Amino acid sequence: MARVYGYTGSLLRVDLTDQAYRTERINEAEMRGYLGGRGFNAKRLYDEVGAGVDPLGPGNKLIFGTGPLVGTMFPTASRFNVSAKSPHTGIFGDSNAGGHFAPEMKFAGYDQIVLEGRSPSLVYLYVKDDHVEFRDASAMKGRTVFEADGFMKGELGDRRVQTVICGPAAEKGVRYGGLFANQVRAASRTGMGTVMASKNVKALAVRGTGHVEVAEPEEFERLVLKLEREIREHEQYSGRMRMGTTRILMMANEAGFLPTRNYMSGVYEHASMVSGERLAEEYNVKNRGCFACTIPCSRVYSVREGPHRGLHGEGPEYEALGSFTSRIGNDDLEQALKAIDLCNQLGLDVLSVAGCVGWAMELYEAGQLTAEETGGLELTWGNTEALLKLIQLIAEREGFGDVLADGSVEAAERLGRGMDRTIQVKGMDLIMADPRGLKGFGLGYAVASRGGDHLRSEPFLELSDDPEIGERMFGVPESTMRLADRGKGRLVNYFEDWNAVIDSLEPCKNIMQNMMLLPFERVSEVLEVATGLRVTPEEMREAGARIVTLERMFGVREGLSRADDSLPSRFRESPLDEGASSGTVVDLDLMLDEYYAERGWDAATGHPTPGTLQRLGLGFAVADLP
Amino acid sequence: MKRITVDAGKCAGCRQCEMVCSFHHTKRFSPETSRVTVIKDDSLGLDYPLMCRQCSDCPPLKACPTQAINREGGSITVDWQACIGCGACVEECRYDAVELHDGKALMCDLCGGDPQCVARCPTGALDYSESPEFTETPWDAFDRLKEEWGIHG
Repeated sequence: MARVYGYTGSLLRVDLTDQAYRTERINEAEMRGYLGGRGFNAKRLYDEVGAGVDPLGPGNKLIFGTGPLVGTMFPTASRFNVSAKSPHTGIFGDSNAGGHFAPEMKFAGYDQIVLEGRSPSLVYLYVKDDHVEFRDASAMKGRTVFEADGFMKGELGDRRVQTVICGPAAEKGVRYGGLFANQVRAASRTGMGTVMASKNVKALAVRGTGHVEVAEPEEFERLVLKLEREIREHEQYSGRMRMGTTRILMMANEAGFLPTRNYMSGVYEHASMVSGERLAEEYNVKNRGCFACTIPCSRVYSVREGPHRGLHGEGPEYEALGSFTSRIGNDDLEQALKAIDLCNQLGLDVLSVAGCVGWAMELYEAGQLTAEETGGLELTWGNTEALLKLIQLIAEREGFGDVLADGSVEAAERLGRGMDRTIQVKGMDLIMADPRGLKGFGLGYAVASRGGDHLRSEPFLELSDDPEIGERMFGVPESTMRLADRGKGRLVNYFEDWNAVIDSLEPCKNIMQNMMLLPFERVSEVLEVATGLRVTPEEMREAGARIVTLERMFGVREGLSRADDSLPSRFRESPLDEGASSGTVVDLDLMLDEYYAERGWDAATGHPTPGTLQRLGLGFAVADLP
Repeated sequence: MKRITVDAGKCAGCRQCEMVCSFHHTKRFSPETSRVTVIKDDSLGLDYPLMCRQCSDCPPLKACPTQAINREGGSITVDWQACIGCGACVEECRYDAVELHDGKALMCDLCGGDPQCVARCPTGALDYSESPEFTETPWDAFDRLKEEWGIHG
């Protein structure tokens, strides 16, 4: 076999139960078929964590994966996926983050790190090149993400070590505890921090002294320089540099899909008080970036006066900002910043917290939840003192916080009411975009392999509202009209495949996908120049479809079918009554029929057909069909 | 003389300078072979790229027992034939701008007059031009910015 560049070709497998470890080779067929990060993880999780495994038991595996471009100067190639069976949803769990952890994995020599079993005592793992230490972490028990990071850097005496940490909330078994790199780079969806804590592991610290080499250095440099120029000259460049994703908040409000008061409205009357623009003008002091980023869009903010004087931090991004403002009817920006900071320290997924709190506030305002049940907390819209208290209670699993600590679905079951007001799909609380104003996003939420979430598809082209793009790219003018239902099956299918590819190569999706910089043709060119592997644009698209379908099969093996590809009833039955997305509901069945047909999945069950599995090289999964 | 200076308020800590530097010198990517190292403080959100400032008195040059460190063509250079990897230069540099890799001292050579880290910095935090001695340490810069921005660890 010819030498493959870019990849390390190595996987580190750590047996926590016996405190042993070994490396394994990743072969060329896996590289071609699954590309890297997310794809590698999907395959390994499917092969090694079967149906019925307890997500919080030693049989679950926590897998870190990164891609062939990471650890080079390729713009934004900095990300990793972390995957396991999810304790939040019971299905495919997976989350992605940037920062500096992933390139350190590469310099240490690994494309993937698999943690399996359960450590007999609380440890953190220190991976230094080909050596692994199981280090006592009892001093970090219950410590915040920030404290744990400082502790390890001090103990290891190496400022270049990169860490991924779970917070005290995960240690208490809150089911949506995240993992945090560089303190605030959150891989926080689907409870991956909770899985790590269940294995008695507080953190993973990595330090690598090796290098990454590409197949054609001169050609690679030419490609990189061209991409850097395209990024700087892009129309989104200045807005992203100034506001990161928080630029979305005002746009969403104007388009009428800014989730407000738990999705009861799509317009927030105080949006300008909590906007990315206001954050930039009054609080931001500098930009920060992930590794090798040409467009470092993270921002450091500082509150210089008033009751929150001294509060500072990095970010927030749109999802977190909206979660603790419009989502819960709060117009106090500084209180929102404080709540986000608290979630980061405690290691909580902001979207899931907001899903639970937004739900509880809606119930409280409707008179279906009493102060007696909440332990005296008055969960009225915008009550941020109650929010801050509740975040602490959730992290400690105390009082009403314990009710919310397993997610909104479990909370509704425990209370015996309010299930119709939970805003989730497959148990995962939705993100901050109302699907009544973005129908393709709605379809994406319904079918996403990890539950209600946009990052599997994110078909942003429908925001263009330009039928010519839809006609040209998908043969259906309505496919790129945000309020239309037709053509969305094709749109989402395309974007899911594309995102699976980007997530596997591990540059930043915000840049490479949302700025349209890496279409399949160019991904193919980049991969060849970086690794020496020739994967045609068609094969690239097929790899995306393979990854999406295998993740789907993980859910099918756990018993999921078409009935689970649903959306909360308010999106299907009750139109919004104000704003630019009012008067329309989501016709999910129409979109699902189209989508399954595009995918080659059975329309009645939502299961991939045996023929489709064979065509995608997933014949091994046919036996797992019901 | 022309030297590289740092505007810490602009550094985003992306470390692209490390990648570009190692690639320019070795055709591979590795922070270990980069002549620039970014100091990062995630608690404060502050970052600082450290590299040779071409100081007029250059203590490493004076300390080198084999005269491997010299000043030629407008920059400090290291003669790897002569370098014995004793690390005296690492000890003596006031700015932690010298490191050993595979037993040889690594110092910024200004890429022969067109420093690639400066050319490729995405935020313009690095400048290469005629400038007086540059004596700011990362800690000076962090203290100044903390004060200016009201950030306290």
